[in-house]
Amino acid sequence: MSLLRKGQQWGTFACVWHIFDATWQDPFRSAHLIKKYLMGLYKPIYHPLNQCGDHVIVINSKEIALRGDQWQKRVYFHHTGYHGGATWTLAWELHSKDPTMIMKKAIYSAMDGTLQRRFTMQRLHIFPDDNVPKEILENVSNQIKQLRPVPNRLHEIPQEERDKIPRLIQYPSDYQLK
Amino acid sequence: MAALYRVLNYLGKNVVLTAQNRNISLSAVTRIKEIIQKKEGNTLTFEAVIKPDPYEGRFLKPKNGACAICSSGLDIKHTDVLILSQFVTSEGNILPRRITGLCETQQKRISSLILMAQYAGLMLRRSPKGGLLHPLQKRKWKKFNSYYDEKTIKARYK
Repeated sequence: MSLLRKGQQWGTFACVWHIFDATWQDPFRSAHLIKKYLMGLYKPIYHPLNQCGDHVIVINSKEIALRGDQWQKRVYFHHTGYHGGATWTLAWELHSKDPTMIMKKAIYSAMDGTLQRRFTMQRLHIFPDDNVPKEILENVSNQIKQLRPVPNRLHEIPQEERDKIPRLIQYPSDYQLK
Repeated sequence: MAALYRVLNYLGKNVVLTAQNRNISLSAVTRIKEIIQKKEGNTLTFEAVIKPDPYEGRFLKPKNGACAICSSGLDIKHTDVLILSQFVTSEGNILPRRITGLCETQQKRISSLILMAQYAGLMLRRSPKGGLLHPLQKRKWKKFNSYYDEKTIKARYK
């Protein structure tokens, strides 16, 4: 067996630890990306009954971004089982109570409802910020690429960089500066 | 009663006349770029300064008589705050078409993109009381990050 082939085999059977930075990422779109690594769908030996999934660490889940006005419109339903035990929680209310819950529920519902789903979820580690315990972080050998680039706020961009951008409009001569 | 109205009318006219009796005008003839207002004690002084355009060296000239954005061929997203901030005053208001010189479609598009950037907290927004709202001083759902899809803007060239 050649050295390359050996490496391939080792990579396939190894349980890899991935890290994903959720800053400014849509949890529902990144859930389909994370699911692929969590279940081991990208491996050639994948089979539903084959234990070939990887561990995924999601950091900065407090900084996720929802599209449009979904913070107000998305509703999470829960029922205690008793009469009148139904509650409807808005996404921003749930996120202020537990900043990892939206990400966790998004990944959970992205996967099919099989018996394997709860075991697969045990391989997911979500942290609201970037304070990850050292014993978890030293396992990491791969970083999952973000789906959207992290946008810059205008007041955080330095003045030198602002001065380089070409102007698209020219003020008319009678324009009064404000 | 009629006499009282007459006196009030006369006073009102006089007040307006004194207000209009200024030595400066904002019309195109005088070409005033900046008006500086100073208050020392009870006296209010207005000073008009004709300033050169500070952005003249970086101006990208539009070609073929098209508007600035159409001729540049840029696909502008709501995260491109350095471009969008050119279409906004220092108070956070969107500049009108009379000043930007854009075509109708692009003006509508830029206005929606500026609103998206302001709601996403990428640009400073005008507060209802005047002044600017800082994007990080927000409450409830407004304190979390949100992004927008540019496909939802109705104004576009097909």
